[in-house]
Amino acid sequence: MTIMKILTTKGSNPTIALKQFHRYLNTTNKLSLLNQIELAPPDKILGLTETFNNDVNPSKVNLTVGIYKDNHGKVTTFPSIAKAQKLIDRELGLNKNLSYLPIKGGKDYAENVKHFLYDESCSPTNNLIEGNRNNYGKQLLDNDRISFAQTLSGTGALAISAKFLALFISKKVWIPNFSWANHMNIFNKNGFRDIHYYSYYDVKSGQLTVDAWLKDLKEKVSKDKSPEPHCIILHACCHNPTGLDPTREDWDKIIDTINELKMIPIIDMAYQGLESGDLIKDAYLLRKCINPKYVWDNGLFLCQSFAKNMGLYGERVGSLSIVAPSHSQPRVKEAVDSQLKRIIRSIYSSPPGYGSRVASLVLSDPDLKSQWFKDVTVMVNRLQGIRDQLSSNLDWSTVNDSQQHGMFYFTRFPLPVVQELRDKYSLYLTDDGRLSLSGINDSNIEYICDTFKKIENQSK
Amino acid sequence: MSQLTILNEIEQLPADALFGIKQRYGQDDRATKVDLGIGAYRDNTGKPWLLPAVRAAEQKIHSDVATYNHEYLPITGLPALTKGAAQVLFGEELVNEHSDRIVTVQSISGTGALHIAAKFLSKFFSSKKIYLSDPTWANHKAIFEAQGLTTTTYPYWNAATKSLRFQEFLHAIETAPEGSVFVLHACAHNPTGLDPTEEQWTELIDAIAKYDHIALFDSAYQGFASGSLSKDAYAVRLGMKKLALASPILVCQSFAKNVGMYGERVGCFHIVLPNQSEETTAVVKPAVQSQLAKIVRSEVSNPPAYGAKIVGTILADDVLTNQWYTDMITMSSRIQTMRVSLRNALINLKTPGTWDHIVEQCGMFSFTGLSPEMVKRLEEEHAVYMVGSGRASIAGLNEGNVEYVANAIDEVVRHYLTQSKL
Repeated sequence: MTIMKILTTKGSNPTIALKQFHRYLNTTNKLSLLNQIELAPPDKILGLTETFNNDVNPSKVNLTVGIYKDNHGKVTTFPSIAKAQKLIDRELGLNKNLSYLPIKGGKDYAENVKHFLYDESCSPTNNLIEGNRNNYGKQLLDNDRISFAQTLSGTGALAISAKFLALFISKKVWIPNFSWANHMNIFNKNGFRDIHYYSYYDVKSGQLTVDAWLKDLKEKVSKDKSPEPHCIILHACCHNPTGLDPTREDWDKIIDTINELKMIPIIDMAYQGLESGDLIKDAYLLRKCINPKYVWDNGLFLCQSFAKNMGLYGERVGSLSIVAPSHSQPRVKEAVDSQLKRIIRSIYSSPPGYGSRVASLVLSDPDLKSQWFKDVTVMVNRLQGIRDQLSSNLDWSTVNDSQQHGMFYFTRFPLPVVQELRDKYSLYLTDDGRLSLSGINDSNIEYICDTFKKIENQSK
Repeated sequence: MSQLTILNEIEQLPADALFGIKQRYGQDDRATKVDLGIGAYRDNTGKPWLLPAVRAAEQKIHSDVATYNHEYLPITGLPALTKGAAQVLFGEELVNEHSDRIVTVQSISGTGALHIAAKFLSKFFSSKKIYLSDPTWANHKAIFEAQGLTTTTYPYWNAATKSLRFQEFLHAIETAPEGSVFVLHACAHNPTGLDPTEEQWTELIDAIAKYDHIALFDSAYQGFASGSLSKDAYAVRLGMKKLALASPILVCQSFAKNVGMYGERVGCFHIVLPNQSEETTAVVKPAVQSQLAKIVRSEVSNPPAYGAKIVGTILADDVLTNQWYTDMITMSSRIQTMRVSLRNALINLKTPGTWDHIVEQCGMFSFTGLSPEMVKRLEEEHAVYMVGSGRASIAGLNEGNVEYVANAIDEVVRHYLTQSKL
């Protein structure tokens, strides 16, 4: 109805007509608001699985999602995890109680994870690799400087970090170019105003660009005279999507620089154990950052996940730690804890229980834990075997590069090639050319290598 | 800079009241103690109760070795859950009729659903005022305000008469700026345990339609009020029939209480789109769905699987669904029995005041009418824990402790009565 119609039909009583019209506008407005909502683009990675599922080609291969599959193409539960599940289900009676966890998660889970991350993963024997004799992580625990929360895996940890930082400390973050597609989305949707990208990787050469990275930071961060510090996301190991990590020497330079620039490190540790097959060894970036020679004035953030290294993907098990600087007031930890609680309480009240019970049991039972360490090694050995096969079958020199780690290989295929692989050969990579290695197995490696050869010959 | 670290400036907040009670209760080492704080069902021995339907679903999931794994769920959740959840809420008939207009995403229980609603409203309807009942669940205000929305209240509970302030509630709907959002407790109002009658719901929803408001139903206790899912969905289904012609309705659904999934965080957020042309709906539905998915992706990536599989399995299997109906009756009838026992015990003790409201209220809670100082004394002198507002979780009562609680209430009521006379 238009205004004219309303005014003419209700013309005899202008007051009613106006009220009617007001309501008409309001209703229209309400409906059109809903109608104006735009279609958000589908998620770049998880959307592809849907396309893949609808593909009828019997040779189709899904190399998109970062889920570990065994040599039979199956997603299996690690032996350590399966055993823990059985214990929970049959013997411990733990699962009889599905009560609410505390807002920041279970106490046992917190103790076990903190012990694993800051005591074991930072223990002196391992620190010797980096020339340290002190267990600085243990000291952090002893001095009670870590605010800790169980989170919905790595994403949950990053989202809570973003909300916390945006509320109190900073709305500026640096993300590597390339990075996990969701990093930008998480910070953008949780209150961050300035999102910058630092040079990380050169597609042409397939090399890291550490010098350009540091130059970016030095030029832009030091020029910013506002008191609001800058945050920076660092991939702890197995960089996603390139699979290429800085060397230990490069990391020293990088950490020196971000410390000089008074930046706030946000360590995203989603793949601990998947670099070397040794869970402890892979925590090197955490160990380097907590060395007391670096003072992080506005805290150090660790976002950690058991999705990949325990294979607990969909159970959403992870954690957030905020490490307060040594010079902060002693009350800071409790104040931070209370704010984390408020943030979490208004988003989801308390985290899900099941996955955290499994993880906690694996971490607290010596037998299960040593089995878990073995499970991770088995997984990483299989990934290494695939790299070896790819490198011997194809002319891919970088696939076996010593800095090339984790679940992914970055093919550097341009988008048209990725699309051709998908459309013509039913071989699915993500749009950026990332290939998930564990999707490759004895039954499809020949097809995959032949297809890649064909594609590469074409482009020559 | 005066401070080396901005962290020093962060203010410390008081502990969350509900979780604080849980903590104090845990640390209390008196031999007899009773937790009537948090809204969680307990059986007649005071223990958490794993529903037989849940146990059977768990076994079914675990025994399916070929398919049981921990792969990520889709961003919008487990299809078996989201589909079944909509059926539970709206009923088969309405779902079949309007399935093209219902958008559902899995959420981290009721809080997660409310949070998605708040984030969605703040993005697309930011000027809307959010009306909450007075009183309401302590977390409602925080959830909406954390997303920058403005909240206000509508009258609900008359403390003097322990009844619904119906006319004032209606008046608030009539005088609110057109197009406001009304958060309605679908059933078993938290904390008062008092729901509008079916006739009152009709008047309220007609008024909401008349003034073009948006209804947001918080459905956390379906099946707990009456033991019947469809009876407890009366308001939601009426809302869908009467409102969804012109405006969207939003529903936040939790399986925490009615399936006992508390700590596994299982729920759904639904939007029923307004009735428009098929062409328009065909565009709006995927757009709304995609925006909800984006919200989920930016906070948790994808929702937790374990509890979703349990509820999804129950809802997809007729035998398990029927078991679940029986389980719900077991829970709601035990609570009703305890209401009667507590009322009778207080009457036998000739405790000053009226206590019939305990029986008339429904769901998990009773708004006892005890003052904050009485609640404090209950905790300090008798180790009986409840929320400062006088809200008691009746599920915490059992045959073994109801007399004890009645005596404790009797003592504190008389204590303050004597004091006020001095």
